[in-house]
Amino acid sequence: MAAFSRYWSLILNPFLQTLEMVFFSTLFAVILGLPIGVLLQITSPEDQGGIVPKRILNSVLSRVVNILRSFPFIILLIVIMPLSRVIVGTAIGTTAAIIPLSIAAAPFVARIIETALKEVDPGVVQAAKAMGSTNFQIIWKVLLPEALPSLISGITLTVINLIGYSAMAGAIGGGGLGDLAIRYGYQRFQSDVLFITVVIIILLVEVIQLIGNKLAAHVIAKR
Amino acid sequence: MRIRLEHVSKNYGALHAVEDVSLEIPSNEVYGVIGKSGAGKSTLVRLISLLERPDSGEIYYDDKRVDNLPKKELIQERRKIGMIFQNFNLFSSRTALENIEYPMEICHMDRKTSKKKANELLSLVGLEGRGDAPISTLSGGQKQRIAIARALAVDPNILFCDEATSALDPQTTRAILALIKEIQKKMNLTVVMITHQMEVVRDACTRVAVLDQGKIVERGDAREVFANPQTAVTKDFLFNISNMKNSIIRWSNEGGHYTLRFRGLKTQEPIISEVAKATGAVFNIRAAGVNIVSGEEHGIMILDIGPDAETAKSAVDKFEKLGVKVEEEMDGSV
Ligand SMILES: Nc1ncnc2c1ncn2[C@@H]1O[C@H](COP(=O)(O)OP(=O)(O)O)[C@@H](O)[C@H]1O
Ligand SMILES: [Mg+2]
Repeated sequence: MAAFSRYWSLILNPFLQTLEMVFFSTLFAVILGLPIGVLLQITSPEDQGGIVPKRILNSVLSRVVNILRSFPFIILLIVIMPLSRVIVGTAIGTTAAIIPLSIAAAPFVARIIETALKEVDPGVVQAAKAMGSTNFQIIWKVLLPEALPSLISGITLTVINLIGYSAMAGAIGGGGLGDLAIRYGYQRFQSDVLFITVVIIILLVEVIQLIGNKLAAHVIAKR
Repeated sequence: MRIRLEHVSKNYGALHAVEDVSLEIPSNEVYGVIGKSGAGKSTLVRLISLLERPDSGEIYYDDKRVDNLPKKELIQERRKIGMIFQNFNLFSSRTALENIEYPMEICHMDRKTSKKKANELLSLVGLEGRGDAPISTLSGGQKQRIAIARALAVDPNILFCDEATSALDPQTTRAILALIKEIQKKMNLTVVMITHQMEVVRDACTRVAVLDQGKIVERGDAREVFANPQTAVTKDFLFNISNMKNSIIRWSNEGGHYTLRFRGLKTQEPIISEVAKATGAVFNIRAAGVNIVSGEEHGIMILDIGPDAETAKSAVDKFEKLGVKVEEEMDGSV
């Protein structure tokens, strides 16, 4: 019991920091990535379901997203530190880590959203167009709702990726479970703390996956 | 609403999907456009329904030119048109009722009015009480009924049907066609019925245009076109409908091979024996059938006429005098 409360007091705070980082960076990544993903899809060629094909804009946007996605996260973290200082006043700590995490995940979210929207039956989009929908109505009332199950799966994947990234962010002073694992497990050779931290991260991933699957299944079951 | 097309063309690269089509679709009836797969039917209907702009030519609704409208007006004009499709194209993210509400929703009709209207339409198409059903739980026929209700939600003047029955079994096809005809009368709709099935034209259309390789090769009163097909494409469609293709057996190579087409009462007269008595010709009947086209009986008979070419010729003359269309098949390869 004493051991438990020792671990508990050790882990609780970093655990909450991880949740905070993952929650807010997912939120901001979606806010950033959603319009980019929608733009990527609607400007794609007509035979890929684009409703306002724009060849040049589409290929430029696509390149930029690919470059950002292939950027190693640890480098991005360092590059973006000055930006964090501007936005939240500091380059270290949990709040500061949310900024590079969001920016790193946004292009991933954009691709996930683009892919999900591409799967929407082009016939359904044509029907919506034939009924006199504006492009805005097609996006909000047709594309996004029709793609909802894929969007849920995609965002679940984003959350899981961000749990991994947030552990890395911990290494440069972001706090959280990754930071705990490095400080206690690696630097102080407390392999029990390392072990428990890893188990908690695995459990967290499992729980997120489970919730995501349940949510997607729930939406599909109602269709 | 009357629809008029003048020299309308649409190309995809080097392909002339629709080529110089001029067409007058009268108000308030079911107009069929029939053609084989790839003939350009869907392209044509996308042009008439303002989903795509033609490369050249003009389209008029009544006397208003509609093919060159600016974007805003185009959207307004589309909101006055109903359209249904082969694959129904319903929103899986919405229930049956919410699907019907969609066109009213995008016109910003208030929620209560649109819900009431959607429920009325639901009973009009015979699906009262199924409003909460998810789309995936409906059968093909029920899905098309919902699609019809959705198309009617904005009180359109025109209903476009692109292969609306092609994904349905024959029995459901008949039920859907009956529903479309009923609604056409009730709501004074102009219906444009795109299909590759002659049965659909036979059962539902008053007029028909035959489309082949992007061009209209034949058009007119559906009964006329059936009774007196001018082009190989139309004959092919008629032939398929009679289900005779596989039942032809060749008996002899003498005396020529003829296709007789009868209309109306003539299907009930003893024409063959009359001609036999008058000319001394002998007949070898290879296949025969009767179709009902827009309420009129159409007979078709494929036969050899003997014993010699001369007698055959006088028999053909006699048939034509009696009002039977006779076609001679030159190559004999039916
Ligand atoms: N968006 C398009 N881009 C390129 N080719 C097209 C397009 N739509 C149709 N076609 C071509 O035009 C021809 C007519 O097609 P379609 O109108 O769909 O025929 P149908 O509906 O009679 O089967 C076909 O050869 C088809 O491949
Ligand atoms: Mg087609």
